[in-house]
Amino acid sequence: MTGRTPRTPTASRWLWKATVLVLVGALAAAGPPAGAQAPRDRFVFALSGGPDTLDPHGTAATLSFMVMKSLYDTLVEPDDAGKLVPALAESWTVSPDGLAWTFKLRSGVRFHHGKGLDAGDVKATLERILDPATRSPRRLQIGPIRTVEVVDPLTVRIVLAERYAPILAALAEGWGAILPADLIARRHDFSTRPVGTGPFTLGEWQRDSFIRLQRFDGYWMSGLPRLREVVIRFVPERAVKIAGLLSGEFDAVDAIDPDDLPRARANPDVRIITQLTSLVNVIAINNSRGPLRDVRVRRALWHAVDRRQVLKTAYGPDSVTSAVFMDVTSPFWVDLGDPYPFDPDRARRLLSEAGYGSGLTLDLALPQPYQPHIDAGQLVQAMLARVGVTARTRVVEWGFWLSRVFGGGEYDLTIIGHTGKLDPEGRLVGWGDAARNYVRYENQKVSDLIHAGRITANPEHRRRIYAEALKLMTEDAMMVILGSPARYVGLRAPVREFRQVYAVDTYDFRKTVK
Amino acid sequence: MPFVARRLLAVAPTVLVVATVTFVALQIIPGDLAEIMLGVDARPEDLARLRRDLGLDRPLVLRYVEWLGHLARGDLGTSVSYREPVSRLIVARLPVTLSVAFSAMLIAVTLALPLGVVAARRAWSPMDLTVLAGSQVGLAIPTFWLGILLLLWLAAATPLFPLQGYVAFRTDPVQWLRHLFLPALALGAERAAALVRLVRAAVLDELHREYVRTARGKGLMDGEVLRRHVLRNALIPVITVAGLQLGYLMGGAIVIEQVFGLPGLGRLLLQGIYARDLLIVQGAVMTIALMFALLNLAVDLVYAAVDPRITYA
Repeated sequence: MTGRTPRTPTASRWLWKATVLVLVGALAAAGPPAGAQAPRDRFVFALSGGPDTLDPHGTAATLSFMVMKSLYDTLVEPDDAGKLVPALAESWTVSPDGLAWTFKLRSGVRFHHGKGLDAGDVKATLERILDPATRSPRRLQIGPIRTVEVVDPLTVRIVLAERYAPILAALAEGWGAILPADLIARRHDFSTRPVGTGPFTLGEWQRDSFIRLQRFDGYWMSGLPRLREVVIRFVPERAVKIAGLLSGEFDAVDAIDPDDLPRARANPDVRIITQLTSLVNVIAINNSRGPLRDVRVRRALWHAVDRRQVLKTAYGPDSVTSAVFMDVTSPFWVDLGDPYPFDPDRARRLLSEAGYGSGLTLDLALPQPYQPHIDAGQLVQAMLARVGVTARTRVVEWGFWLSRVFGGGEYDLTIIGHTGKLDPEGRLVGWGDAARNYVRYENQKVSDLIHAGRITANPEHRRRIYAEALKLMTEDAMMVILGSPARYVGLRAPVREFRQVYAVDTYDFRKTVK
Repeated sequence: MPFVARRLLAVAPTVLVVATVTFVALQIIPGDLAEIMLGVDARPEDLARLRRDLGLDRPLVLRYVEWLGHLARGDLGTSVSYREPVSRLIVARLPVTLSVAFSAMLIAVTLALPLGVVAARRAWSPMDLTVLAGSQVGLAIPTFWLGILLLLWLAAATPLFPLQGYVAFRTDPVQWLRHLFLPALALGAERAAALVRLVRAAVLDELHREYVRTARGKGLMDGEVLRRHVLRNALIPVITVAGLQLGYLMGGAIVIEQVFGLPGLGRLLLQGIYARDLLIVQGAVMTIALMFALLNLAVDLVYAAVDPRITYA
């Protein structure tokens, strides 16, 4: 059927080889070589995802604020201990009735477009957040602001309709970023052309790929930032993140998977920094459903689960257990020890006291794409099986979880992490009122205490009030608290002063050098 | 009416049906934009307020009719989650996805055509069996996994290719090629595996036909018979499938764009679905459907060029 294939002349075969060689050479020579490190004043950071917008009043997404931290400033900001310290505001005072907050602004601060910061900018910014047309998801959380008054060019007064202790924390969150009044008036599009007072300006933003930030030479902190350029690459793929860190293409990578830690640690050019996050991970219990209405059943679940093992296996060996619904790093955290120690026998006894000695079947919803929660769910399922509780796991997509599980209460158990808030109000609002929290937990006393905390200005009093509320919540075993997971950030060896602001879950590149 | 005009007119209803199905599908799945935006912090009053601010509380039919009205004027709307006009988002991303899809197709054809012809000419020889086995393996490997392997072998371990990202052709053609090569290879390898079987079967089929014997009988060389007669006929089914596969490749790009961090249409679509951003999903799906329809048309036109018997009045 076939004859001989005509022979390729030797010359053309050589030509082929030469072409391939030239092509490979050209690719390799096309700078900058992928494996080599970027220049010393250019910092490349790999983040799991990108911002949805660069308008600080248009989003509630953590990833967006991680980027916007470098573009904008707030009146106050949290220090490493979570304490609020001056930023654009030099100092502030509160009227005796707690309703009027007066901020003295720092002088000599400039926006990226050259305008100097004054009280009018603060007024315009807060009014922008409160304006329904802005559609800020944080419109209600900025607080019950009645008016914002310009006292003099560098003094601004915020008058509240009712006492609201969390106002200072609200102003320190990423969504409290101050924008220039002149551009607000001109309806400037901050979502793609951000203008703030931050340490960097926007160089280039390729959506879903990378963002390049350039040093703002007029930044108000003298000598800062030290880097000329920060490139944040959005890398969803775990294997790519770790490969880029090891090869040196990335100077730092966010949130390394615990399973990748041994590989990263084995490399002498890589350093891992471990930090507790401000998350609280929990096994949420639907308090309104059948057997789960019984506090004995809920306590049995605590005793049945080896919380320490779940936390360390699923979320990383450096995670820390906690028995209250507050992150371990918060000044409002209280140490209750281990109120319901891991004890399967006791769990079985409690279940049979409650009338479920012969077993119990519960639904366990696990949110996709959060693999650690799914891993934790599998461990929990096995532990519950040992005390006669059959957990039927179902993995659900995030949007589904938010709508049906979180919003609709269609679940018995679910595993989730609650992000950190600067002020305990942010975490605790609605708890104790079954209609306003997703575990349908009802306790009037807790609800009253949380309200008291909101209107109490004295920090020491507030701490005591919240401690009492947290204790009651754990006594009611309203959910099984696991604790705060650790976050692993990988750095190339020369990187210094890489700061994580764990209290607001963001990164600060102002002092970073490499 | 000329053929091309008729076909173009038929594209419009197809795209509209696709858009409507997308609209309905997104209403059926749980979760809305406001819930996703507020996440675990959502308080009922925040949600209600945001839904009202975003207009999500208005009746479905009203929103649909409104969207259709805007569409008729060529306006795809403004995305809430991205806060940018959807058309601008799509225009920025389409070149990325088209670059990946077309270069993947180029790689697939470049690999499949010679390998398929060689395999057919030496059917059941060790060479042929190797090609068939390779194609089996190629079909079995998921593209995202091949993508990750290529990244680890060729991007992380050598300075040849970058790990992530995209550079536009206009900005720097060499960098464009460097960024595109691995994703196109990962995507193209799988298509090549499918295509090589088709080429082999088609060529094999033609080689047994009488006209081949006649041509040989007239004293034509094997190579000439293959080039001038066999390939011309064998190529018709191959072009059909390759053209359709180009449409599928645009879908396949969703996965590969995620692995290689390419800011393409697939990634936009995925983000849109996660965020329940209806306008983005609508816009992206319609663009993909439109491309698919246009590619089909292009394939029909190429037939005529390859096979002189086919003409379109």
